[in-house]
Formats: sequence, C-alpha cells, structure tokens
Amino acid sequence: MNVGDILEVRGVSRSFSGLRVLNGVSFAVEQGSITGLIGPNGAGKSTLFNIVSGFLEADAGAVVYAGMQISRLSVQRRSRLGLVRSFQTPQVFAHLSVRENLMAGCYKHTRSGMLANLLGTPGSRTELARMQREAQSACERFGLTEVSERPAGKLPAGQQRLVELARACIGRPRLLCLDEPSSGLNSEEVAQLMQSLQRLNREGMSILLVSHDMELVTVASVVHVLCFGEIIASGPLERIKAHPRVREAYLGT
Amino acid sequence: MLGWLVALIALGLWAGVPAFASRSVVDMLVFAGLYTIAGLGVSFLLGQCGIVSLAQSVFYGIGAYSTAFCATHLGWPAPAGFAAGMALSGGVALAVGWPVLRLSGYFLALATLALAIIGHVLFTEWDWLTGGTLGIGGIPPLALFGVRLDSPQRFYYLVWPVAALLLCLHRNLLHSRTGFAMRAMRDAPAAAAVLGVNIHALKVKVFVLSALLGALAGSLFAHYVSFVSVDSFGVDRAIGFLLLAVLGGARTIAGTVLGALFITVMPHALSGFGDIHAVLFALFLILAVIFLPEGFGGALAGRLARRRAARPPAAG
Repeated sequence: MNVGDILEVRGVSRSFSGLRVLNGVSFAVEQGSITGLIGPNGAGKSTLFNIVSGFLEADAGAVVYAGMQISRLSVQRRSRLGLVRSFQTPQVFAHLSVRENLMAGCYKHTRSGMLANLLGTPGSRTELARMQREAQSACERFGLTEVSERPAGKLPAGQQRLVELARACIGRPRLLCLDEPSSGLNSEEVAQLMQSLQRLNREGMSILLVSHDMELVTVASVVHVLCFGEIIASGPLERIKAHPRVREAYLGT
Repeated sequence: MLGWLVALIALGLWAGVPAFASRSVVDMLVFAGLYTIAGLGVSFLLGQCGIVSLAQSVFYGIGAYSTAFCATHLGWPAPAGFAAGMALSGGVALAVGWPVLRLSGYFLALATLALAIIGHVLFTEWDWLTGGTLGIGGIPPLALFGVRLDSPQRFYYLVWPVAALLLCLHRNLLHSRTGFAMRAMRDAPAAAAVLGVNIHALKVKVFVLSALLGALAGSLFAHYVSFVSVDSFGVDRAIGFLLLAVLGGARTIAGTVLGALFITVMPHALSGFGDIHAVLFALFLILAVIFLPEGFGGALAGRLARRRAARPPAAG
C-alpha cells in the first residue's frame, strides 16, 4: 500500500455456489482522489463494493483502509472509521422527512445512551439540537431546504439520491463509496451530481465511484475497469477508453 | 391556547370519571391503562423498529408472578416485587432476544409466538412457583401515601399517571438519536448500518425495554386483582397486545392508548348483543384493518397533518 492510498483492495476473490465472481482483484484509491470503478453488467462491481463496505466477506484477499486491515470489521465499524457507502437503489428512510433522514445521519457522531434519551436529559436535548443544526446545514448545502419537511419516500428518484448523498456526507467521511449514483437520474441531475462530487472532493473527501455511466466517471482522475471478476485496465479515463481489452469488453470490438 | 384548553378539559374529564362512572366501567379503564403500559412495548417494537413480537404475554406473566411470589411467599415489600419482576423479565428478554433477534420478518414473529407458548406451558407446569392452574392468591393491594389502592376508583389514579409518564418517556426516546436510529432501522436496515447503527444490539435493547414495560404492567395487574393464574398469560393475551398495537396505530404513541381502549371497551360494549358479540368484534377488527390501515392513531395523525397543510400561511 502506498502511503498516499486511503483504500487498498489486495487480491480479493469471491465465489457464489462455485461460480467465481471476483478473481484476485487488486486496486487502490488514492487519498483525496475521485477513483472510478467501471465494468459491464455482471463484471462483479457490486460484489466488490459489498466486500469493501463490509456487507460481504471475501473468500480470499484483504481490504486495507487508512493502513488498517478491515476485512473482518462490521459495516458499522467501517462506517465509524469514516468509510461510508450509498446503494444502487436509493435507501432513504421512507417514512422520515428529509430533515429527519439527515438527523439520522448524525448517529455515529453523537454519543448519548438509550436511558439518557428516554429520560430526555439536558445532554440528550443539546445533542438533538446539534443534530437539527447539522441537518439544516446539510439541507442548505445540497439544495434540499424546500423539501426538508417532506417524507423522503415520496420524493422523485433524483432527490432521493441527493438525500442519500447528503446523509452520507454528514460528519465528513474520509472515503465515500457510491454505487451507481447516476442510475435513474436524468442528464440535468447527473450534471448536478457531478458538480456535488467535485465540490466534496475539493473539500478533501476521497470518493470511490462504481458506475457503468461513462459520462459520470469523467470526474474520476483514475479509473479501474473490472471485467468478469478481474481488473483488466487502470489509469486515466482517456487512456482507458483506448485500451483494447476495454473496447472489447464494452463494444465487443 | 386552544390546545391547552383542550388538554385542561380532557384532564378534568379524566379526573372526574371515577366519580360518575360505574365500578365496572372504571375497572375496564384500569385494564385499559394496564394494557396501555404493556402494549406500549409491543407498539414500539412494531411501529418504530419493525419487529413483530408475540412474546409480551410472557413478560407480563413474569412480572405478575414475580410480584405475587415475592409478596406472598417471601413477604417482600411491593417495590422489591416490582424490581424482581422487571429484572427477571429483562434478563429473560436479553437471553432470548440475543439469538432470536437475528431472525427477521415472519420467522421472528413465529419465534416470539413459540416463546409465548413455551412461557404459558412453563407457567402451568412450574406449579411450585406459579401455583399452576390454581394460581397465587392473597396478593396485597398497593398503598400510596398511606392510601390502600384496593378499588378500581383508587387504582385508576395510579395506573393512568404511570401510563402517561411512560408515554412521555417514550416520546422523548422517539425524538432522540436512538429514536432516529430505530426508525432508520425499520425503514432501511442496510442504510442504518452504514450510518453506524449496530442493528442487532439496538433490536435487543428495545426488546428488553419492551419486556420491562410488560413486567411493570404485570406487577401492577397482580396487585390490582390480588390473584394471578395462567389464564391471564396465554397466547390470546399475546395476540391481544399485538392487536392493540396494530389497531391503535403502532407508529404513533397516542395510538397505543386508543388501541388499549378499543380492545377493553369494545368487547364489553358488544356483550349486550349476546352470543354473537365475538362475531361482531371480529367484524369490527376487519373493518378497522380495511379502512384504517394505519390504525386509529395513524388516521388521527394523518387528519391533523392534512389540516395543518391546508391552513393558509401566517401573514408577514
């Protein structure tokens, strides 16, 4: 692992019922970069993403985050270390308002226990006020103020994506992993998303972007191409596009 | 201002009920209060965490038997009986909940139903502890500031303030970091885990809290009726608690009260129709589920929200 890498995936393999989906995959995400992970359908992107975020365990290999082996850590432990993810289908808390979704995003940065919450102690109330302030500020940053009191489940897909992104960014994670964030968005919403990602990156957040949307990955400085469970090419997007194996995988030429 | 006036009138009405209502009506309201306390636990699990629990009758029974045993066999004072019941219930909930709450959906519901059945069998078979089918009698009534709460009229003034206090505490919990985590877990467990919520630990904590409420209600019940037997802690009681939560509207705290009133008052009100009353009650349940899928509390909350939304914004 290079000193400048926030994430390193080392020789990760994973099979399902004898079918090998990932075969010794290795790649790294440089600290402060936007890194893209692309590949055709069935390439193993989502499996790899689930292994990085802790929803699946690898059969072999390791995931190293900020110099620490995290392969055995639970999802919530990884989250507390600053590695957060979004989902291919937006996972908003449908019955909570947008503001409440963002307040829930403050969970790992708050400390009060269940008893204090039950009794409504002054500490618990102060914490709640802080959560409200943070949610309000996130609403303003991501342009969600107008819909802040609406149930998140009733919003169109584009805004649900934005809610999920805003919620993930509360507390400034070190590595933000986004799974197909442009899926279901129109071109205008994709453009807005790209601007948001670039802004977050300028603020110092490292981003791992999993997508098959070539337009969206133009924001990435380095792109890794996954095909049939193996990384077949890595580098800047322009170089990747000209790579013969990538052209073969995407265009069949 | 109007809200305060309504609250004051409601408080006056509540306080005046024992003075003008018959003993049987007040008795029914005492039971509604007890069921509110026990049902609050089930309601919270269902509405805020998405956990279907049919095990509340076991914790209700543990509370009642602990209190009965401590008071009659050991001669302990009432607070010690309450503490024993809650400690035992909490311990059982922790021991059972830790493995069982790794399940979800129908499997979890079935596991809690199994717990209710096992509990009922044990309450019957462990007659050295529970008195079996003969039960335990002679439980002394509670006394508060020197007043013996030995009538429905007196017990009414204990059970409802306790229920109100618990409703307030649960409201606090709902509007806190833990409450947001619970509701996040209910709506999207994977996303909640990404926010740092330890899903399993949180489920166990809420299950234990629910068991404590069941035990508290059971202890109060034992002191109120002065006699406990297995008939009060069967699977039908467990279903009754779940029914209360579903009909009342598990997502609203006030719904628990409405649900408790419904399951105590409605069968009584329909009993005048003779043998057909059980069929009529079932019919009411079906209609309630069809027309009020969010329960009474949910329907009320929805109506209030629509009225607020329709209100024109204040000038300036």
